[in-house]
Amino acid sequence: MNLTLVTTLWRQRLTSPVRMAILAMLSLMPLLGVAFMPGAGLALLGGAQGLILTLGAGMIGQDLSSGVLQLLFARRLRRPEYVVSRWLGVGAAAAVISLLQLAIACALLAGRGAVPTAQDILMFGGGRVLESFGGAAVLAFFSSLIGGFGDLGIYLLVNLGAGIVQMAGQVKQWLWLARAGAEISAALTPTIDLVRLVTVTPMPWYPIVSYASTVVLCLALAIVVVNRRELSYASG
Amino acid sequence: MSGIQVEGLSKTYRRGLAGERVHALVDVSLTIAPGEAFGIIGPNGAGKTTFLGCLLGLLRPDAGRITIDGHAPDDLAIRAVTGYLPERLVLDRWMTGREFLAYHHALAGQPAAGRREEVEGALERVGLGGEAGQRAIRRYSRGMLQRLGLAQAMLGQPRYLFLDEPASGVDPAGVVLFRRLLSELRQKGVTVILNSHQLDQVERVCDRVAFVKAGRVEAIETVAAGAAHARVLRVRAADAAIGTRVTREQLAALAVSAGAALTGIDPPEARFTVADDAGAARLLQTLIGAGVPVAEATPEESRLERLFLDAPTDARTKGSA
Repeated sequence: MNLTLVTTLWRQRLTSPVRMAILAMLSLMPLLGVAFMPGAGLALLGGAQGLILTLGAGMIGQDLSSGVLQLLFARRLRRPEYVVSRWLGVGAAAAVISLLQLAIACALLAGRGAVPTAQDILMFGGGRVLESFGGAAVLAFFSSLIGGFGDLGIYLLVNLGAGIVQMAGQVKQWLWLARAGAEISAALTPTIDLVRLVTVTPMPWYPIVSYASTVVLCLALAIVVVNRRELSYASG
Repeated sequence: MSGIQVEGLSKTYRRGLAGERVHALVDVSLTIAPGEAFGIIGPNGAGKTTFLGCLLGLLRPDAGRITIDGHAPDDLAIRAVTGYLPERLVLDRWMTGREFLAYHHALAGQPAAGRREEVEGALERVGLGGEAGQRAIRRYSRGMLQRLGLAQAMLGQPRYLFLDEPASGVDPAGVVLFRRLLSELRQKGVTVILNSHQLDQVERVCDRVAFVKAGRVEAIETVAAGAAHARVLRVRAADAAIGTRVTREQLAALAVSAGAALTGIDPPEARFTVADDAGAARLLQTLIGAGVPVAEATPEESRLERLFLDAPTDARTKGSA
């Protein structure tokens, strides 16, 4: 990991008014729900996809289309180091914002006398952190494929495609097709259901293996794609 | 082995839907000695930027071999001693100039301890000290961007400096500054590889120049200061003297006596071939001594301009690189 790249990514995200506005909206809206409907608990906070997409969109593609990568890779910087730093930067930022949001939600719930249990907080927070790094890995792969914010387009298309496949499977009662759609959809934001993991015996290994393999595969593919890229406007 | 060795370098691109192959570089071989200033010139689409891209390890050649100090160009040991200023300079526009240099100083693996001083020094050297360094890059003019790009390339005291059209968009004061900085770097033994269309700059800065055309190195010329070059001098006389009061025969005789040759007259001008700068001075002295009212004497074109102009015009057939 290259700390300079990670911190620069964070600073770049912080200077983008559009991203900051979307982030504020995505962070505060669920908190309003928690404040006014304390009975629903932490579930109202939902998933971290919005945060990941807002922080991660164009994480590699923007550098690719702007031409900044040429200058970066002429430096003493390994390409895999760049990809991993981008992933960690986005994943860590989404995780930190998620945990901050969780902390505020817990404070709000405590104020209403509906404080969640320590286990609930731990499970929810852990799930959000895993989701942040999982989703960031998928987005890193998409972003390595296409310039600008094309990764967002790929994400939405795959999500839409997975939804259609799942629906078609349900309509036709082809369980295998419905399952395929669900797996594709889940693979877009990999996470582990920690509650199920700690309550079911024997411990199910499939979610762990599935999460780890998705993250590793996406990062490996992103590294391969970035490694193979020729970086000169003459090659364009 | 030190310096840059290029052997049999070839590079093709696939273009269009049919994947048509375009030859950007064809069997290029050359050697650049450590501390040398080496220029690359050629028409648009000749393959100059592709060549630089291969030297920097940003492009993968189809065939051939490049070594820099005995290493592959993408070896991190070489990257650590390399500075690069791309032609189409794109910088992180949200940063200030100072932040941008600090960022690249860190990426170059330079110690954080002396960062502030080195960044300030680099900004001062390119004339962006003070308030200019504190300004957001998106507010920089084209010339300021080039200056900042050069400062970035010089960070970390590189031993190899690759410059792709460094003076593009720079005002005359900036051009003079660039030349001075390059001269300083050369005195420190930095190897400079300069790709530029500004032939006078190339001629002033470089020891040798490769003329690239259609992906091939057509010629490598020595242009080091003091090297003997024949050149054409265009002389204009006052009072329309040439062709009337001073005849062609008289001019031809005067030229021969000065060791030059008359190549033609087009009143009020005459064109002479002289061996070098000293020959030009001798000719002018002879003409003035003989009473020719010389009003103006201009070198017709530089050697590199002639190299450019004399080359056949059937450049590469497709695409550009």
